[in-house]
Amino acid sequence: MLGVAYYHANDPAHAIEHLTPTVQRLAHSSLERREAVQVLGLSHYLAGHLAESIPYLEEVRPLVPDDIKLAYALGMAYAQTRQPDKARDSFALTFHVAPGSAAAHLIAGQMMNRLELEDLAETELKTALQKDPRLPEAHYLLGQIAIFRSRLDEGLALMRDELAINPAHAMALYRIGDIYSRQLKWDAAIAALQQSLWINPYFSGPYILLGKAYSKTNQLEAAEDMLRRAIQYDPNNKSAHYLLAQVLQQAGRTEDAKREFAIAERLLGEK
Amino acid sequence: MSFCGTGLRDVVVGVLALGSIGGGTAFTQPPPAKLTFSLTNVARAAGLDSRIVYGGATSNKYLLETTGTGVAAIDYDRDGWLDLFFVNGSTLEGFPPGQAPTNHLYRNRHDGTFEDVTAKAGLAASGWGQGACVGDYDNDGYDDLFVSYWGQNRLYHNRADGTFEDVTRSAGLTNARTRWGTGCAFVDYDRDGRLDLFVANYIDLDLATAPTPESGLCRYKGIQVACGPPGLTGGKNALYHNRGNGAFDDVSDSAGITRAKGTYGLGVSTLDFDNDGWADLYVANDSNPSALYRNNHDGTFTDIGITSGCAYSQDGKPQAGMGVAIGDYDRNGTMDIFKTNFAGDTSTLYSNSGDGFCEDRTFASGIGINTRWLGWGTGWIDLDNDGWLDLFLTNGHVYPEVVQLKTEAGYKQRKVVYRNLGNGRFSDISERLGEPVTTPKAGRGAAFADFDNDGHVDVAISNVNDLPDLFRVTDASGHHWTTLTLVGTTSNRNAIGARVRCASGGVVQSQEVRGGGSYLSQNDFRVHFGLGDAARVERVDVRWPNGLEESWESLPVDTFHVLKEGSGRGQGSNR
Repeated sequence: MLGVAYYHANDPAHAIEHLTPTVQRLAHSSLERREAVQVLGLSHYLAGHLAESIPYLEEVRPLVPDDIKLAYALGMAYAQTRQPDKARDSFALTFHVAPGSAAAHLIAGQMMNRLELEDLAETELKTALQKDPRLPEAHYLLGQIAIFRSRLDEGLALMRDELAINPAHAMALYRIGDIYSRQLKWDAAIAALQQSLWINPYFSGPYILLGKAYSKTNQLEAAEDMLRRAIQYDPNNKSAHYLLAQVLQQAGRTEDAKREFAIAERLLGEK
Repeated sequence: MSFCGTGLRDVVVGVLALGSIGGGTAFTQPPPAKLTFSLTNVARAAGLDSRIVYGGATSNKYLLETTGTGVAAIDYDRDGWLDLFFVNGSTLEGFPPGQAPTNHLYRNRHDGTFEDVTAKAGLAASGWGQGACVGDYDNDGYDDLFVSYWGQNRLYHNRADGTFEDVTRSAGLTNARTRWGTGCAFVDYDRDGRLDLFVANYIDLDLATAPTPESGLCRYKGIQVACGPPGLTGGKNALYHNRGNGAFDDVSDSAGITRAKGTYGLGVSTLDFDNDGWADLYVANDSNPSALYRNNHDGTFTDIGITSGCAYSQDGKPQAGMGVAIGDYDRNGTMDIFKTNFAGDTSTLYSNSGDGFCEDRTFASGIGINTRWLGWGTGWIDLDNDGWLDLFLTNGHVYPEVVQLKTEAGYKQRKVVYRNLGNGRFSDISERLGEPVTTPKAGRGAAFADFDNDGHVDVAISNVNDLPDLFRVTDASGHHWTTLTLVGTTSNRNAIGARVRCASGGVVQSQEVRGGGSYLSQNDFRVHFGLGDAARVERVDVRWPNGLEESWESLPVDTFHVLKEGSGRGQGSNR
């Protein structure tokens, strides 16, 4: 089928154009139709026609219960059309957790947070914690949303709650460093960020924040060292290059700073 | 305006510890807990009764329908009372002949009311109006008006008889193609005594090819919305040099204004960032680093926004800049920059350190607490004349469709008012002020000017698909003030670019006369200072746009003064 070929060629618009009449023409029980319906649903999903994709994907879901790609697409479509209950059930299938469980609410919350549907995510995560107060990650995700909303004290408390469940949660320590940085508590920020790096030295985020914290406390060599390490792990990190440029400028190394600013600007232009 | 990548989700932040803030004894006391001032919406009583039309009220197909319009404060009849010019827009469907909404000029009657003189003044133009800025470009003593459009911008020459003439064509400002002009500012960038013109351009928008929400490609929190600006070609800013014969030359390229690609420019203000006596320009760009065009003194500019730290959020991310306010909020003698941004992000406060750099003090100042509001028009305004500049923000979401999201702040949003605590920090007093500050509106442009000449700066606001607002400020503190009208003689008559230092009660404040400002708007040219309890202005120093410096001493308070170039003491120039 030409429509299927268009789908595989990453051309959902043409896939839809060809598959829509095909689906109507084929016999309802035929294997060809099933494939066409599935690809048509996925094509609508890829084209951003989320509401349109749902009936097609739902039609074939019972026939391919183990297809996590299809369940994922349905979950995303339901979430973005603000149908949280159906989204949660689809994500539960995607990630093989029991529908309605604390884990299902957690997964749904995570996915909705990723989609910047913070209001839905917050509801899911709170429900997850009602069902299981010691569920790992839920406090962290709620804390992330609180920080995003600039509710820093609440974010800090939630990160501490997460650490009470999992003291080795490097990202929670990183977020605590972030909060303390915003509150100008540089020593506390540096301590939390160092803890985060001792647990996971391979993530550029804490190096970047440490670079900032050291630059703000006028420890320019340490700041440069941290930012260069961040770039080592994450060469295309715009923030790292931008902050390094600022540190170099602060240190009077104008030419080096210019070079870094140029890199940051190029990377930012590539977004 | 983008919903892409403007959030704080991955923000890496941190700010400098607070430095010492200068100040004399009259101003260093902590402000009283009780608010002595209030704002009242007097628009209806004042007769500002024409609706501002702008795109679809409940859903928008193109970004063109979302950005709204600006307001200009202009004393077009030179009676010493500021009149108001509201820019109007259109709809995709258009209007039958003769029924299209027009811009509106309201003449100030001096009694708290205004008269709609649009038709009489010859300003009844329609179309997708955007912003307005004011300047006496021919130095004839009467302020002229520039109005930006999606389509063809218009320059109106003030005939000095209460009417205007559209001189766009003869001035050489005709576009060869459709452009989306937004923020604008008159500025004498080459110090030849004549006002030149800067116009930001947002998007090179072609409705025939621009994607629509139905494409399914453009979503905000799951809702189909108007597409852009990412994915659409950015408009390039323009600088027009005043030849002195009523015509302008487009010098955008030779002056270094035109970047390799467009930057989605919106709010524009002049400022002297490096205090060298030459006018610079700041442009709030949407989804791009802001531009800070530093004047090179040779007819060219260099965009130092990025290298000076005045372009990104503090972690090096571009924000969705809308409006811009310039003022010396910390009284260190340098012009600081405040920029409004998208919802889910903070506004940005850049403190000018005086050594060529911006320090991002968004969180250090306490402004980082608000991420719900989507900001547009903004201005520094000393609400109680205590000598510390407070902040006023007009808000409203871009997408009318957000009403479907119950937890979002809504399409119509309240204003935000931050009180300057005099120690580098601000307090959000919006709720304490109550209505009309807390009344939700789809606000856009805002012009800051003392319309009733009572010594308190008021705010005129343009709302999308709604009537305009006029917030009158009243204050019972008894604090003193002075307002200075600068008249250039060899400098441009409006004195745009002049720097004023006002010494009173042991405190020195700095201000400028600026072109443009806020969001697509023009503020009062008069320079206002709140003086606290100081009973006398000890000294005023003016550095005129041409470099001449002179001073005036021992000025009475609570009154308006006209300072004419060449009439002060100690004439000289150090530039």
